[in-house]
Amino acid sequence: MKATEPGLNTRSKWASILTDIHFWVPVAVLMGGLLLLRFIR
Amino acid sequence: MPPASPSSFPPAAQDASRGKKLQLLGILCGFAAGAWLGAAEAPTKLVSIGISPMVISLIMVIGVFLARWSLPALILGTSSVRADVRRAPHLVIWALLAGCLWAVANTLTIYAIRDIGLSIAFPLWNSNSLLGILWGFLFFNELRQAGWRRRAGVLGGALVMCVGATLLAIASSGHGPEAHSLHGVWAALGAGILWGTMYIPYRKAYLTGMNPLSFVTFFSFGELGMMSVLSVSSLGLAPLWHELLSARGVIFWLMLGGFVWVIGDIFQQYAAKYVGISRGIPLSNSNQLWGLLWGILVFSELHGRSSSTYLEVIGGSLLMMLGVGAIAFSSATGQEQSRWKAAAIRESDRYDVAADFVEARMDGRQLSGEQKPSRSALDWFLVIAATSIFVIFAAMARVPQISLHWGPAALLTAVLILFLIICGLALWRTTRFN
Repeated sequence: MKATEPGLNTRSKWASILTDIHFWVPVAVLMGGLLLLRFIR
Repeated sequence: MPPASPSSFPPAAQDASRGKKLQLLGILCGFAAGAWLGAAEAPTKLVSIGISPMVISLIMVIGVFLARWSLPALILGTSSVRADVRRAPHLVIWALLAGCLWAVANTLTIYAIRDIGLSIAFPLWNSNSLLGILWGFLFFNELRQAGWRRRAGVLGGALVMCVGATLLAIASSGHGPEAHSLHGVWAALGAGILWGTMYIPYRKAYLTGMNPLSFVTFFSFGELGMMSVLSVSSLGLAPLWHELLSARGVIFWLMLGGFVWVIGDIFQQYAAKYVGISRGIPLSNSNQLWGLLWGILVFSELHGRSSSTYLEVIGGSLLMMLGVGAIAFSSATGQEQSRWKAAAIRESDRYDVAADFVEARMDGRQLSGEQKPSRSALDWFLVIAATSIFVIFAAMARVPQISLHWGPAALLTAVLILFLIICGLALWRTTRFN
């Protein structure tokens, strides 16, 4: 592990988020949930 | 600062001893979470007027929002929340996402209960713990190198709890399903998937070192924002406002339910942090048992029901306790914990979070040289503002005209306070709430 303070620039931080499966799985499930809610109502 | 470890112990022995202590702490938090989350239903049972379930949910979430800002401000101060966000700002997105997932899941449960009844809906969405175990295994190295006994303990315990939950739900439902509808089944399953997936952000945040008190603060924005959007889109702004006005006599009880729920949720967050989601979530799912205890002992919900109902309750409760016991005795070994650390290193590298910070927070301690959290005027303002709002609605509240058994209510409240004191002191002594 690198013992440094956070230093990544904003752009690469966003790239890290948008290429993270931990982000897309909850997003996909949330979208599915909203669609299901709409379908049920 | 954490209590100093005896210097005569070698570092490996100190690590193992600290690891065991944190595991026990996480299990204790899981038990406390179950008790407090179960008790959160009690104030809502006092509300018997015909207001929309969506409005009930929204008012509870407002209570949750107030508690989620004032409690962290009281315990550690908002300076600690700001420091956490500076170190791992990306986690705010996951906290908001988790809040949104919670709000949609909660709304789906309302439709599920309406369409298929609690007895079918509850076991379906209670499967969230099984999904939590799967995500924990796939994404965060949970139950890796745990050995078959521990894996069987956790998986078997969660399955036994699901069976117990089914029996309790059947016993506690006053009548059969209102309308056998495929929509209701989908809604309940959907709620389980949403809640099970909500634990991905939880675990990610705690592996990266975020304090549970900081995480819940941002979680509440996602929760309240999504709940407001859903309420307005479902009812319309003017009818929603009209319903809120007409419900002002019961707002306090619903907000109180939200407040109690937040205390349970904070313990649940600490359980997820120290024993992982695969163990923490099933343990806090014992809330159904506590909810039923409140229902039976305080609100006489099963009064006059057949002996078979009581057998279902006893059988379901025993199964729930058996499942909880199996999970509690399957705590993570040193090897499994080293896999958790590998997952934390991955997160630290990916988001460039200081490694020493992540390591310290995994051990439930402050970084050496880190400023001690302190409360400012803003924190006291938040605490006073939240308290004042509760006092204002308490003054407007109508005293419910239902018969309560005060003896059992006092006993269960005493148990809750005991859990709060024991668990709060254990968290303070071991981690200083880190």
